[in-house]
Amino acid sequence: MHKLVYILFFTVFATHAQTQMSTQEAAALKTKVKALASTTQTISSDFIQYKHLDFLDNDIETSGKLAFQAPDLVKWEYLAPFKYSVLFKNETLFINDEGNKSNVDIGSNKMFKQLNKLIISSIKGDMFDENEFSITYFHTDQNSLVYFSPKDKKFAKYIQAFHITFNAKGDVIEVKMLEPSQDYTKIVFSNKVLNQTLDNAIFTN
Amino acid sequence: MRYLLISICFIFVGCASFPKKNNFVPIAATSNINNPYFANPNQDYIYKANIEVYDNAFGGIFIVKKIGDQQHRIVFTTEMGNKLFDFTFNKDAFTVNYILDDLNKKILINVLKKDFKVLITEHLIAEKSYVITNEIIKKTSLDNKTYYYFESPEISKIIRANSHKEKVRFLFSDLNDNIAQHIEIIHSNIKLKINLKSITK
Repeated sequence: MHKLVYILFFTVFATHAQTQMSTQEAAALKTKVKALASTTQTISSDFIQYKHLDFLDNDIETSGKLAFQAPDLVKWEYLAPFKYSVLFKNETLFINDEGNKSNVDIGSNKMFKQLNKLIISSIKGDMFDENEFSITYFHTDQNSLVYFSPKDKKFAKYIQAFHITFNAKGDVIEVKMLEPSQDYTKIVFSNKVLNQTLDNAIFTN
Repeated sequence: MRYLLISICFIFVGCASFPKKNNFVPIAATSNINNPYFANPNQDYIYKANIEVYDNAFGGIFIVKKIGDQQHRIVFTTEMGNKLFDFTFNKDAFTVNYILDDLNKKILINVLKKDFKVLITEHLIAEKSYVITNEIIKKTSLDNKTYYYFESPEISKIIRANSHKEKVRFLFSDLNDNIAQHIEIIHSNIKLKINLKSITK
């Protein structure tokens, strides 16, 4: 009987671990994240990406490094289990696929332009645009979790929501992109360093 | 007259059947075909893919899972995880669960459907058998197309051909524990090449 009470207690506790923020708390988080994002000149971080497909036994795990330099240089580099990098630079997307290099002119491609903007805002966490997203704020155990659901129907067909987890400093530690099918891509950052001078060589393909 | 004879000869050679043209030697009936490469329901099959189509090349992750007795799910995503297409094969039924608008072309879907069905079909009847050097070749039909399976003894190659000419070639290499670590699908009538490298754990 005791055990049952404990189990019930923990179940209730677990489901309550994620609670919605008050308006004031949400505003405070938003201010904190925006302040940090506005002073962020560079980011370098390791990441692990988990691709979850409901029908698979295990998530597909890939990992690598991310580098960002204000205002709009971004490099995603996968190192395992294959080498693949994308670099957003001068309105161009440079791809290096295990040594095979190619590029896409983003200037002429609205989708890539939007994607680049979105990647930058999601790694900084600054997606608080009420015109573009319906936004809901939660507390988790030690962090904050914000759901950004795109209002644009065409966009929502690709991504139903971004779930971004912020640490106490207002820095992004996890980005989850949910598809309408409920499959998702989750990116967990580690060894994140802000505002350290980055070698220009990082931003060459 | 001599030219005519030579021409006729060429016409005959040109019209020779696919097995004859390739010097396949007919042999007595053999066992049927058993393709093990996507047959384990407890295995997630994950490949890094490179696709060359006309003058474009792009990559992604190619995912196959056997989800039922004769049922497979095939999903292709970008390296960054965005789904490009998601198909279900269930015996003879085929469902497009999702496809990116830009790729939603009937002709493309049909080509992919035909190619992927070859990858996942496990059991086929050997209608005729041949031999060439160390390989046994089994002729079979799938959805009214003719295929030649090359076994040595594992399946190392599959060729789709009409009566005279090769149309598509499937190559399986680095075979390890019923997983083909490397698969190539090469079309000869359209400029399409799919290269798959296993990243299965």
